[in-house]
Amino acid sequence: MNEDLTRRDFARGTVLAVLAGGAAFLVKKANGQIVWQVNAARCINSRLGDTGMEACNLCTTECVVALSAVRAVNEYSKCGRCNICPAYFNIASAVNELGQPSEKLCPRDAIARKPIGKVDPEDPANNFYEYIIDEEKCDGCGKCVMKCKEPLGLGSITLRVRYDRCVNCNYCSILKACPQNALVQLPIGQALST
Amino acid sequence: MSVLDALVGQLGKLRAACLPAQVAGCQPAAGFQPAPRTSRFPQILGRACVILALLAGSAPAQVIPYQRPVDTAPQADSIGGGYKVPPVQKPLPRDYWLQVLDVVALAAAMGVSVWLVLKRRSRRWLTALTIGSLAYFGFYRQGCICPIGSLQNVVVALADPKYSIPMVVTATFVLPLVVALYFGRAFCGGVCALGAIQELVVLKPVQVPRRLDRALGLLKYVYLGLAILFAVKPALTRDFLICRFDPFVGFFRRTGAPYMLVLGGAFLVAGMFIGRPYCRYLCPYGGLLAWCTRLARRGVTITPNKELDCGLCAEACPYGAIEQMRAVRRNCLYCARCYASCPRERGVAS
Repeated sequence: MNEDLTRRDFARGTVLAVLAGGAAFLVKKANGQIVWQVNAARCINSRLGDTGMEACNLCTTECVVALSAVRAVNEYSKCGRCNICPAYFNIASAVNELGQPSEKLCPRDAIARKPIGKVDPEDPANNFYEYIIDEEKCDGCGKCVMKCKEPLGLGSITLRVRYDRCVNCNYCSILKACPQNALVQLPIGQALST
Repeated sequence: MSVLDALVGQLGKLRAACLPAQVAGCQPAAGFQPAPRTSRFPQILGRACVILALLAGSAPAQVIPYQRPVDTAPQADSIGGGYKVPPVQKPLPRDYWLQVLDVVALAAAMGVSVWLVLKRRSRRWLTALTIGSLAYFGFYRQGCICPIGSLQNVVVALADPKYSIPMVVTATFVLPLVVALYFGRAFCGGVCALGAIQELVVLKPVQVPRRLDRALGLLKYVYLGLAILFAVKPALTRDFLICRFDPFVGFFRRTGAPYMLVLGGAFLVAGMFIGRPYCRYLCPYGGLLAWCTRLARRGVTITPNKELDCGLCAEACPYGAIEQMRAVRRNCLYCARCYASCPRERGVAS
Protein backbone atom coordinates (compact mmCIF):
# COMPACT_ATOMS: atom_id res chain seq x y z
CA MET A 1 0.00 0.00 0.00
CA ASN A 2 2.72 2.37 0.99
CA GLU A 3 4.81 1.48 -2.03
CA ASP A 4 1.76 1.92 -4.24
CA LEU A 5 1.22 5.38 -2.81
CA THR A 6 4.76 6.47 -3.49
CA ARG A 7 4.55 5.12 -7.01
CA ARG A 8 1.35 7.10 -7.50
CA ASP A 9 3.01 10.20 -6.08
CA PHE A 10 5.88 9.76 -8.49
CA ALA A 11 3.52 9.36 -11.44
CA ARG A 12 1.56 12.42 -10.34
CA GLY A 13 4.77 14.41 -10.10
CA THR A 14 5.72 13.33 -13.61
CA VAL A 15 2.35 14.33 -15.05
CA LEU A 16 2.52 17.68 -13.25
CA ALA A 17 6.01 18.28 -14.64
CA VAL A 18 4.82 17.48 -18.17
CA LEU A 19 1.81 19.79 -17.78
CA ALA A 20 3.99 22.56 -16.36
CA GLY A 21 6.53 22.15 -19.17
CA GLY A 22 3.84 22.22 -21.84
CA ALA A 23 2.16 25.21 -20.23
CA ALA A 24 5.48 27.06 -20.00
CA PHE A 25 6.14 26.39 -23.70
CA LEU A 26 2.67 27.66 -24.65
CA VAL A 27 2.92 30.73 -22.43
CA LYS A 28 6.29 31.60 -23.91
CA LYS A 29 4.82 31.28 -27.37
CA ALA A 30 1.67 33.23 -26.46
CA ASN A 31 1.11 36.26 -28.66
CA GLY A 32 -1.80 37.94 -26.96
CA GLN A 33 -5.31 37.50 -28.13
CA ILE A 34 -5.76 36.12 -31.64
CA VAL A 35 -8.98 37.08 -33.41
CA TRP A 36 -10.59 36.63 -36.82
CA GLN A 37 -10.66 39.44 -39.33
CA VAL A 38 -11.82 39.79 -42.92
CA ASN A 39 -8.98 40.29 -45.35
CA ALA A 40 -10.51 42.98 -47.57
CA ALA A 41 -8.02 42.28 -50.34
CA ARG A 42 -9.40 38.75 -50.66
CA CYS A 43 -13.09 39.30 -49.95
CA ILE A 44 -15.10 39.11 -53.18
CA ASN A 45 -17.34 41.94 -52.02
CA SER A 46 -14.57 44.43 -51.42
CA ARG A 47 -11.76 43.59 -53.82
CA LEU A 48 -11.64 44.87 -57.42
CA GLY A 49 -14.51 46.82 -58.92
CA ASP A 50 -18.23 46.23 -58.95
CA THR A 51 -18.50 42.85 -60.63
CA GLY A 52 -22.16 43.25 -61.41
CA MET A 53 -22.79 39.96 -59.62
CA GLU A 54 -24.97 39.51 -56.59
CA ALA A 55 -22.96 40.25 -53.47
CA CYS A 56 -21.63 37.22 -51.59
CA ASN A 57 -23.62 36.90 -48.37
CA LEU A 58 -21.89 33.91 -46.78
CA CYS A 59 -20.79 36.10 -43.87
CA THR A 60 -24.46 36.53 -43.00
CA THR A 61 -25.55 32.97 -43.44
CA GLU A 62 -22.57 31.04 -42.10
CA CYS A 63 -21.74 32.84 -38.85
CA VAL A 64 -22.61 30.85 -35.74
CA VAL A 65 -24.05 33.80 -33.83
CA ALA A 66 -27.63 34.86 -34.51
CA LEU A 67 -26.95 38.21 -36.18
CA SER A 68 -23.64 37.70 -37.93
CA ALA A 69 -20.51 38.97 -36.17
CA VAL A 70 -19.40 40.35 -39.53
CA ARG A 71 -20.85 43.67 -40.57
CA ALA A 72 -20.16 46.43 -43.04
CA VAL A 73 -18.08 49.34 -41.80
CA ASN A 74 -17.74 52.67 -43.55
CA GLU A 75 -14.20 53.97 -43.17
CA TYR A 76 -15.26 57.62 -43.10
CA SER A 77 -11.91 59.05 -44.12
CA LYS A 78 -12.10 57.12 -47.41
CA CYS A 79 -15.76 57.90 -48.13
CA GLY A 80 -16.52 60.14 -51.11
CA ARG A 81 -19.63 61.56 -49.38
CA CYS A 82 -21.39 61.36 -52.74
CA ASN A 83 -24.92 62.61 -53.21
CA ILE A 84 -25.85 59.54 -55.22
CA CYS A 85 -24.16 56.91 -53.10
CA PRO A 86 -24.27 53.55 -54.90
CA ALA A 87 -24.26 51.75 -51.54
CA TYR A 88 -27.09 53.83 -50.10
CA PHE A 89 -29.34 53.95 -53.14
CA ASN A 90 -30.32 51.18 -55.44
CA ILE A 91 -29.00 53.00 -58.47
CA ALA A 92 -30.91 50.73 -60.83
CA SER A 93 -34.23 51.96 -59.46
CA ALA A 94 -36.38 54.64 -61.07
CA VAL A 95 -35.52 58.28 -60.46
CA ASN A 96 -37.84 60.22 -58.18
CA GLU A 97 -38.75 63.91 -58.26
CA LEU A 98 -35.57 64.85 -56.35
CA GLY A 99 -33.42 63.37 -59.09
CA GLN A 100 -32.43 60.52 -56.81
CA PRO A 101 -32.98 56.80 -57.19
CA SER A 102 -36.26 55.98 -55.50
CA GLU A 103 -35.10 52.81 -53.68
CA LYS A 104 -32.47 52.18 -51.06
CA LEU A 105 -30.04 49.33 -51.45
CA CYS A 106 -29.83 48.00 -47.90
CA PRO A 107 -32.47 45.33 -47.30
CA ARG A 108 -32.41 46.07 -43.55
CA ASP A 109 -32.36 49.87 -43.92
CA ALA A 110 -29.19 49.97 -41.85
CA ILE A 111 -27.58 52.92 -43.62
CA ALA A 112 -28.55 56.44 -42.64
CA ARG A 113 -27.29 59.61 -44.24
CA LYS A 114 -27.13 63.24 -43.30
CA PRO A 115 -25.76 66.29 -45.11
CA ILE A 116 -22.50 67.57 -43.65
CA GLY A 117 -20.26 70.61 -43.94
CA LYS A 118 -21.83 73.74 -45.38
CA VAL A 119 -25.34 72.55 -46.03
CA ASP A 120 -27.44 74.06 -48.77
CA PRO A 121 -31.02 72.95 -48.07
CA GLU A 122 -32.18 74.32 -51.42
CA ASP A 123 -30.05 71.98 -53.44
CA PRO A 124 -29.58 68.53 -51.94
CA ALA A 125 -27.47 67.45 -54.89
CA ASN A 126 -24.86 69.99 -53.98
CA ASN A 127 -24.14 68.72 -50.48
CA PHE A 128 -21.71 66.27 -49.02
CA TYR A 129 -23.34 63.40 -47.13
CA GLU A 130 -22.15 61.25 -44.31
CA TYR A 131 -23.24 57.62 -44.43
CA ILE A 132 -23.57 55.91 -41.08
CA ILE A 133 -24.16 52.18 -40.85
CA ASP A 134 -26.25 51.12 -37.87
CA GLU A 135 -24.26 48.24 -36.43
CA GLU A 136 -27.28 46.82 -34.66
CA LYS A 137 -29.19 46.51 -37.93
CA CYS A 138 -26.42 45.43 -40.28
CA ASP A 139 -26.07 41.70 -40.77
CA GLY A 140 -23.08 41.80 -43.10
CA CYS A 141 -24.88 40.82 -46.31
CA GLY A 142 -22.25 42.70 -48.31
CA LYS A 143 -24.55 44.37 -50.82
CA CYS A 144 -23.29 47.87 -50.02
CA VAL A 145 -19.70 46.62 -49.93
CA MET A 146 -20.07 45.28 -53.45
CA LYS A 147 -21.45 48.58 -54.73
CA CYS A 148 -19.11 51.06 -53.04
CA LYS A 149 -16.31 50.41 -55.53
CA GLU A 150 -15.17 51.43 -58.97
CA PRO A 151 -16.68 52.87 -61.06
CA LEU A 152 -19.14 54.68 -58.79
CA GLY A 153 -17.70 54.27 -55.29
CA LEU A 154 -14.35 54.73 -53.64
CA GLY A 155 -14.35 51.44 -51.77
CA SER A 156 -14.72 52.91 -48.31
CA ILE A 157 -17.10 50.20 -47.07
CA THR A 158 -15.61 46.84 -46.16
CA LEU A 159 -16.73 43.87 -44.13
CA ARG A 160 -15.22 43.74 -40.65
CA VAL A 161 -15.58 41.42 -37.69
CA ARG A 162 -17.42 42.90 -34.77
CA TYR A 163 -15.57 41.66 -31.70
CA ASP A 164 -18.33 42.20 -29.19
CA ARG A 165 -20.34 39.65 -31.16
CA CYS A 166 -17.70 37.27 -32.49
CA VAL A 167 -17.31 34.26 -30.21
CA ASN A 168 -13.88 33.57 -31.71
CA CYS A 169 -14.49 30.03 -32.89
CA ASN A 170 -11.41 27.90 -33.31
CA TYR A 171 -12.20 27.54 -36.96
CA CYS A 172 -14.39 30.35 -38.22
CA SER A 173 -17.44 28.77 -39.81
CA ILE A 174 -17.56 31.59 -42.36
CA LEU A 175 -14.01 30.76 -43.41
CA LYS A 176 -15.12 27.16 -43.87
CA ALA A 177 -17.59 28.35 -46.51
CA CYS A 178 -15.63 31.30 -47.92
CA PRO A 179 -14.44 30.59 -51.48
CA GLN A 180 -11.60 33.12 -51.09
CA ASN A 181 -10.37 32.08 -47.63
CA ALA A 182 -10.83 35.73 -46.79
CA LEU A 183 -10.96 35.30 -43.02
CA VAL A 184 -7.60 35.35 -41.29
CA GLN A 185 -6.45 35.08 -37.70
CA LEU A 186 -4.49 38.06 -36.43
CA PRO A 187 -3.33 39.42 -33.09
CA ILE A 188 -6.02 41.80 -31.84
CA GLY A 189 -3.97 44.98 -32.34
CA GLN A 190 -3.29 44.16 -35.96
CA ALA A 191 -6.88 43.10 -36.57
CA LEU A 192 -8.19 46.46 -35.38
CA SER A 193 -5.70 48.54 -37.32
CA THR A 194 -6.00 46.85 -40.71
CA MET B 1 -12.41 53.39 -85.17
CA SER B 2 -13.32 57.04 -85.48
CA VAL B 3 -16.86 56.40 -84.29
CA LEU B 4 -15.52 54.67 -81.21
CA ASP B 5 -13.08 57.49 -80.56
CA ALA B 6 -15.87 59.99 -80.81
CA LEU B 7 -17.94 58.00 -78.33
CA VAL B 8 -15.06 57.81 -75.86
CA GLY B 9 -14.58 61.53 -76.23
CA GLN B 10 -18.27 62.13 -75.62
CA LEU B 11 -18.11 60.01 -72.49
CA GLY B 12 -15.15 61.96 -71.17
CA LYS B 13 -16.92 65.27 -71.76
CA LEU B 14 -20.05 63.92 -70.20
CA ARG B 15 -18.16 62.99 -67.07
CA ALA B 16 -16.66 66.44 -66.82
CA ALA B 17 -20.08 67.97 -67.38
CA CYS B 18 -21.71 65.91 -64.72
CA LEU B 19 -19.28 66.93 -62.01
CA PRO B 20 -21.50 68.79 -59.61
CA ALA B 21 -20.69 72.29 -58.51
CA GLN B 22 -19.62 70.89 -55.17
CA VAL B 23 -16.18 70.19 -56.58
CA ALA B 24 -15.79 73.83 -57.47
CA GLY B 25 -17.50 74.86 -54.26
CA CYS B 26 -14.99 73.07 -52.14
CA GLN B 27 -12.14 75.28 -53.28
CA PRO B 28 -11.54 77.38 -50.18
CA ALA B 29 -11.35 80.70 -52.06
CA ALA B 30 -14.38 80.10 -54.24
CA GLY B 31 -16.85 80.00 -51.40
CA PHE B 32 -20.21 78.35 -51.66
CA GLN B 33 -22.02 78.60 -54.97
CA PRO B 34 -25.25 76.84 -55.87
CA ALA B 35 -24.86 74.76 -58.97
CA PRO B 36 -25.83 76.60 -62.17
CA ARG B 37 -28.11 73.82 -63.20
CA THR B 38 -30.37 75.44 -65.71
CA SER B 39 -27.60 76.60 -68.02
CA ARG B 40 -26.09 73.12 -68.28
CA PHE B 41 -29.20 71.12 -68.44
CA PRO B 42 -29.81 70.85 -72.20
CA GLN B 43 -26.17 69.89 -72.75
CA ILE B 44 -26.36 67.11 -70.20
CA LEU B 45 -29.69 65.99 -71.54
CA GLY B 46 -28.31 65.66 -75.01
CA ARG B 47 -25.37 63.62 -73.90
CA ALA B 48 -27.45 61.51 -71.59
CA CYS B 49 -29.56 60.62 -74.60
CA VAL B 50 -26.46 59.33 -76.37
CA ILE B 51 -25.62 57.19 -73.36
CA LEU B 52 -29.18 56.00 -72.98
CA ALA B 53 -29.24 55.04 -76.62
CA LEU B 54 -26.08 53.04 -76.07
CA LEU B 55 -27.46 51.33 -73.00
CA ALA B 56 -30.96 50.89 -74.35
CA GLY B 57 -30.48 47.21 -74.99
CA SER B 58 -29.44 46.31 -71.45
CA ALA B 59 -30.66 48.86 -68.91
CA PRO B 60 -34.17 49.88 -67.85
CA ALA B 61 -35.28 53.06 -69.51
CA GLN B 62 -35.39 55.26 -66.40
CA VAL B 63 -31.94 54.48 -65.09
CA ILE B 64 -29.48 57.34 -65.05
CA PRO B 65 -25.81 56.54 -65.59
CA TYR B 66 -24.61 58.21 -62.42
CA GLN B 67 -21.09 59.52 -62.08
CA ARG B 68 -18.87 59.64 -59.08
CA PRO B 69 -18.30 63.34 -58.30
CA VAL B 70 -14.86 62.94 -56.71
CA ASP B 71 -11.74 60.91 -57.36
CA THR B 72 -10.44 61.11 -53.81
CA ALA B 73 -12.36 61.24 -50.59
CA PRO B 74 -12.99 64.82 -49.41
CA GLN B 75 -11.53 65.42 -45.98
CA ALA B 76 -12.62 67.65 -43.12
CA ASP B 77 -10.88 70.75 -44.50
CA SER B 78 -12.43 70.46 -47.96
CA ILE B 79 -15.88 69.66 -46.56
CA GLY B 80 -15.78 72.73 -44.31
CA GLY B 81 -18.56 73.88 -42.03
CA GLY B 82 -16.67 72.68 -38.96
CA TYR B 83 -17.09 69.07 -39.95
CA LYS B 84 -14.99 66.51 -38.12
CA VAL B 85 -14.44 63.01 -39.44
CA PRO B 86 -16.11 60.74 -36.87
CA PRO B 87 -14.20 57.78 -35.46
CA VAL B 88 -14.94 54.43 -37.08
CA GLN B 89 -16.71 52.06 -34.73
CA LYS B 90 -14.47 49.20 -33.72
CA PRO B 91 -16.14 47.13 -31.03
CA LEU B 92 -13.48 45.51 -28.88
CA PRO B 93 -13.51 41.93 -27.64
CA ARG B 94 -14.16 41.14 -24.02
CA ASP B 95 -11.59 42.89 -21.83
CA TYR B 96 -8.54 40.84 -21.01
CA TRP B 97 -9.01 41.19 -17.27
CA LEU B 98 -12.53 39.79 -17.66
CA GLN B 99 -11.09 36.80 -19.47
CA VAL B 100 -8.65 36.32 -16.62
CA LEU B 101 -11.59 36.64 -14.26
CA ASP B 102 -13.34 33.83 -16.16
CA VAL B 103 -10.37 31.56 -15.49
CA VAL B 104 -10.41 32.61 -11.84
CA ALA B 105 -14.14 31.80 -11.77
CA LEU B 106 -13.36 28.39 -13.26
CA ALA B 107 -10.75 27.71 -10.59
CA ALA B 108 -13.03 29.00 -7.84
CA ALA B 109 -15.94 26.87 -9.03
CA MET B 110 -13.71 23.77 -8.98
CA GLY B 111 -12.56 24.68 -5.49
CA VAL B 112 -16.16 25.00 -4.33
CA SER B 113 -17.02 21.73 -6.06
CA VAL B 114 -14.21 19.91 -4.23
CA TRP B 115 -15.21 21.45 -0.91
CA LEU B 116 -18.93 20.67 -1.33
CA VAL B 117 -18.36 17.09 -2.38
CA LEU B 118 -15.41 16.03 -0.23
CA LYS B 119 -16.07 18.12 2.89
CA ARG B 120 -19.69 19.21 3.01
CA ARG B 121 -20.92 16.09 1.18
CA SER B 122 -23.92 18.13 0.11
CA ARG B 123 -25.88 17.22 -3.00
CA ARG B 124 -28.21 20.18 -2.60
CA TRP B 125 -25.49 22.81 -2.66
CA LEU B 126 -23.73 21.03 -5.47
CA THR B 127 -26.93 21.27 -7.53
CA ALA B 128 -26.95 24.99 -6.82
CA LEU B 129 -23.37 25.21 -8.08
CA THR B 130 -24.35 23.20 -11.16
CA ILE B 131 -27.16 25.62 -11.98
CA GLY B 132 -24.85 28.57 -11.40
CA SER B 133 -22.17 27.14 -13.68
CA LEU B 134 -24.70 26.33 -16.37
CA ALA B 135 -26.01 29.88 -16.22
CA TYR B 136 -22.59 31.53 -16.27
CA PHE B 137 -20.25 29.28 -18.26
CA GLY B 138 -23.05 27.93 -20.41
CA PHE B 139 -25.66 30.49 -21.21
CA TYR B 140 -23.87 33.72 -20.33
CA ARG B 141 -20.41 32.91 -21.68
CA GLN B 142 -21.96 30.79 -24.44
CA GLY B 143 -20.09 27.62 -23.59
CA CYS B 144 -16.75 29.12 -24.52
CA ILE B 145 -14.81 28.79 -21.27
CA CYS B 146 -14.31 25.27 -22.35
CA PRO B 147 -11.38 23.08 -21.30
CA ILE B 148 -12.83 20.38 -23.56
CA GLY B 149 -12.42 22.49 -26.67
CA SER B 150 -9.17 24.06 -25.45
CA LEU B 151 -7.63 20.62 -25.77
CA GLN B 152 -7.54 21.12 -29.54
CA ASN B 153 -6.02 24.59 -29.30
CA VAL B 154 -3.31 23.25 -27.03
CA VAL B 155 -2.57 20.43 -29.45
CA VAL B 156 -2.43 22.79 -32.43
CA ALA B 157 -0.26 25.29 -30.55
CA LEU B 158 2.15 22.51 -29.61
CA ALA B 159 2.29 21.16 -33.16
CA ASP B 160 2.12 24.27 -35.35
CA PRO B 161 4.94 26.80 -34.88
CA LYS B 162 2.78 29.59 -36.34
CA TYR B 163 -0.19 29.04 -34.06
CA SER B 164 -0.28 30.46 -30.57
CA ILE B 165 -2.89 30.57 -27.86
CA PRO B 166 -3.43 33.19 -25.18
CA MET B 167 -2.39 32.37 -21.65
CA VAL B 168 -5.98 32.15 -20.47
CA VAL B 169 -6.59 29.23 -22.82
CA THR B 170 -3.52 27.39 -21.51
CA ALA B 171 -4.76 27.96 -17.98
CA THR B 172 -8.26 26.80 -18.88
CA PHE B 173 -6.80 23.56 -20.21
CA VAL B 174 -4.33 22.85 -17.40
CA LEU B 175 -6.33 23.79 -14.28
CA PRO B 176 -8.96 21.01 -14.33
CA LEU B 177 -6.23 18.43 -15.00
CA VAL B 178 -4.21 19.61 -12.00
CA VAL B 179 -7.31 19.49 -9.83
CA ALA B 180 -7.99 15.98 -11.13
CA LEU B 181 -4.47 14.90 -10.15
CA TYR B 182 -5.30 15.71 -6.53
CA PHE B 183 -9.05 15.45 -6.09
CA GLY B 184 -10.55 13.71 -9.11
CA ARG B 185 -13.04 15.00 -11.65
CA ALA B 186 -14.23 18.04 -9.72
CA PHE B 187 -14.50 19.90 -13.02
CA CYS B 188 -17.11 17.43 -14.29
CA GLY B 189 -19.32 17.89 -11.26
CA GLY B 190 -20.94 21.28 -10.99
CA VAL B 191 -18.49 23.26 -13.16
CA CYS B 192 -18.53 21.98 -16.75
CA ALA B 193 -21.46 23.56 -18.59
CA LEU B 194 -21.84 20.57 -20.90
CA GLY B 195 -21.97 18.29 -17.88
CA ALA B 196 -24.30 20.61 -16.00
CA ILE B 197 -26.98 20.69 -18.68
CA GLN B 198 -26.99 16.87 -18.74
CA GLU B 199 -26.81 16.63 -14.96
CA LEU B 200 -30.02 18.61 -14.63
CA VAL B 201 -32.01 16.43 -17.03
CA VAL B 202 -31.19 13.09 -15.38
CA LEU B 203 -34.72 11.87 -14.70
CA LYS B 204 -34.93 8.12 -14.42
CA PRO B 205 -31.47 6.73 -15.02
CA VAL B 206 -31.05 3.07 -15.84
CA GLN B 207 -27.92 1.16 -14.92
CA VAL B 208 -26.04 0.49 -18.13
CA PRO B 209 -24.71 -3.11 -18.11
CA ARG B 210 -21.12 -2.95 -16.88
CA ARG B 211 -19.53 -4.48 -19.99
CA LEU B 212 -21.46 -2.27 -22.38
CA ASP B 213 -20.60 0.72 -20.22
CA ARG B 214 -16.89 -0.11 -20.42
CA ALA B 215 -17.00 -0.73 -24.17
CA LEU B 216 -18.83 2.56 -24.84
CA GLY B 217 -16.40 4.30 -22.49
CA LEU B 218 -13.61 3.49 -24.94
CA LEU B 219 -15.33 5.65 -27.56
CA LYS B 220 -14.08 8.80 -25.86
CA TYR B 221 -10.49 7.77 -26.44
CA VAL B 222 -11.26 7.15 -30.11
CA TYR B 223 -12.84 10.62 -30.23
CA LEU B 224 -9.81 12.07 -28.45
CA GLY B 225 -7.52 10.49 -31.04
CA LEU B 226 -9.63 11.76 -33.92
CA ALA B 227 -9.81 15.26 -32.45
CA ILE B 228 -6.02 15.39 -32.18
CA LEU B 229 -5.57 13.92 -35.65
CA PHE B 230 -7.83 16.53 -37.27
CA ALA B 231 -6.35 19.37 -35.24
CA VAL B 232 -2.71 18.79 -36.21
CA LYS B 233 -3.44 18.97 -39.95
CA PRO B 234 -2.15 21.99 -41.92
CA ALA B 235 -3.96 25.26 -41.19
CA LEU B 236 -6.64 25.30 -43.86
CA THR B 237 -7.52 21.62 -43.78
CA ARG B 238 -7.58 21.39 -40.01
CA ASP B 239 -10.84 20.85 -38.25
CA PHE B 240 -11.91 21.27 -34.66
CA LEU B 241 -14.13 18.25 -34.26
CA ILE B 242 -14.92 18.78 -30.59
CA CYS B 243 -16.33 22.24 -31.25
CA ARG B 244 -18.03 21.22 -34.47
CA PHE B 245 -19.88 18.36 -32.82
CA ASP B 246 -20.38 20.03 -29.46
CA PRO B 247 -23.97 18.95 -28.86
CA PHE B 248 -25.00 21.69 -26.44
CA VAL B 249 -23.33 24.86 -27.64
CA GLY B 250 -26.31 25.49 -29.91
CA PHE B 251 -28.54 25.73 -26.84
CA PHE B 252 -26.07 27.98 -25.06
CA ARG B 253 -26.05 30.37 -28.01
CA ARG B 254 -29.78 29.95 -28.69
CA THR B 255 -28.87 29.41 -32.34
CA GLY B 256 -26.95 26.90 -34.36
CA ALA B 257 -26.87 24.54 -37.29
CA PRO B 258 -29.92 22.23 -37.29
CA TYR B 259 -27.77 19.10 -36.94
CA MET B 260 -26.23 20.57 -33.79
CA LEU B 261 -29.57 21.28 -32.18
CA VAL B 262 -30.94 17.87 -33.17
CA LEU B 263 -27.80 16.19 -31.79
CA GLY B 264 -28.09 18.19 -28.57
CA GLY B 265 -31.77 17.39 -28.23
CA ALA B 266 -31.06 13.68 -28.77
CA PHE B 267 -28.36 13.74 -26.08
CA LEU B 268 -30.69 15.47 -23.64
CA VAL B 269 -33.54 13.02 -24.27
CA ALA B 270 -31.16 10.06 -23.96
CA GLY B 271 -29.69 11.76 -20.90
CA MET B 272 -32.98 11.45 -19.05
CA PHE B 273 -32.52 7.69 -18.93
CA ILE B 274 -28.79 7.22 -19.38
CA GLY B 275 -26.90 9.49 -17.01
CA ARG B 276 -24.73 12.05 -18.83
CA PRO B 277 -24.09 10.07 -22.02
CA TYR B 278 -21.77 12.67 -23.57
CA CYS B 279 -19.55 12.85 -20.50
CA ARG B 280 -19.26 9.11 -20.05
CA TYR B 281 -18.92 7.93 -23.61
CA LEU B 282 -17.72 10.79 -25.78
CA CYS B 283 -16.06 13.61 -23.88
CA PRO B 284 -12.39 13.49 -24.94
CA TYR B 285 -11.31 15.75 -22.11
CA GLY B 286 -13.14 13.40 -19.75
CA GLY B 287 -10.73 10.75 -21.00
CA LEU B 288 -7.76 12.87 -19.95
CA LEU B 289 -9.40 13.66 -16.62
CA ALA B 290 -10.01 9.95 -16.03
CA TRP B 291 -6.30 9.23 -16.55
CA CYS B 292 -5.28 12.00 -14.18
CA THR B 293 -7.86 10.89 -11.64
CA ARG B 294 -6.20 7.48 -11.34
CA LEU B 295 -3.36 9.34 -9.64
CA ALA B 296 -5.62 11.44 -7.40
CA ARG B 297 -4.80 11.82 -3.74
CA ARG B 298 -8.41 12.03 -2.68
CA GLY B 299 -11.79 11.34 -4.17
CA VAL B 300 -15.39 10.59 -3.36
CA THR B 301 -15.58 7.94 -0.65
CA ILE B 302 -18.64 5.99 0.33
CA THR B 303 -19.13 6.76 4.02
CA PRO B 304 -15.80 5.45 5.26
CA ASN B 305 -15.86 3.40 8.46
CA LYS B 306 -19.62 3.29 8.79
CA GLU B 307 -21.03 1.40 5.86
CA LEU B 308 -24.27 -0.48 5.89
CA ASP B 309 -23.53 -2.48 2.75
CA CYS B 310 -27.06 -1.73 1.67
CA GLY B 311 -26.07 -0.84 -1.88
CA LEU B 312 -28.43 2.13 -2.07
CA CYS B 313 -25.58 4.32 -3.23
CA ALA B 314 -24.72 2.00 -6.11
CA GLU B 315 -28.34 2.12 -7.22
CA ALA B 316 -28.43 5.88 -6.87
CA CYS B 317 -25.31 6.43 -8.98
CA PRO B 318 -26.53 7.11 -12.50
CA TYR B 319 -23.02 6.79 -13.89
CA GLY B 320 -22.14 3.26 -12.82
CA ALA B 321 -19.25 4.65 -10.83
CA ILE B 322 -19.78 2.52 -7.71
CA GLU B 323 -18.44 -0.98 -8.00
CA GLN B 324 -18.48 -3.39 -5.09
CA MET B 325 -19.54 -0.60 -2.74
CA ARG B 326 -16.54 1.53 -3.67
CA ALA B 327 -16.48 4.66 -5.76
CA VAL B 328 -14.46 4.22 -8.91
CA ARG B 329 -12.73 7.54 -9.01
CA ARG B 330 -12.01 7.69 -12.71
CA ASN B 331 -15.72 7.28 -13.50
CA CYS B 332 -17.03 9.39 -10.64
CA LEU B 333 -18.53 12.63 -11.92
CA TYR B 334 -18.78 14.36 -8.54
CA CYS B 335 -22.58 14.56 -8.44
CA ALA B 336 -22.89 13.58 -4.76
CA ARG B 337 -26.02 11.51 -5.38
CA CYS B 338 -24.50 8.66 -3.36
CA TYR B 339 -24.42 10.85 -0.27
CA ALA B 340 -28.00 11.97 -0.80
CA SER B 341 -29.12 8.35 -1.05
CA CYS B 342 -27.24 7.16 2.01
CA PRO B 343 -29.21 6.56 5.23
CA ARG B 344 -26.07 7.14 7.26
CA GLU B 345 -25.34 10.45 5.57
CA ARG B 346 -28.88 11.63 6.15
CA GLY B 347 -28.68 10.53 9.74
CA VAL B 348 -31.73 8.24 9.38
CA ALA B 349 -29.86 5.12 10.38
CA SER B 350 -27.21 5.26 13.03
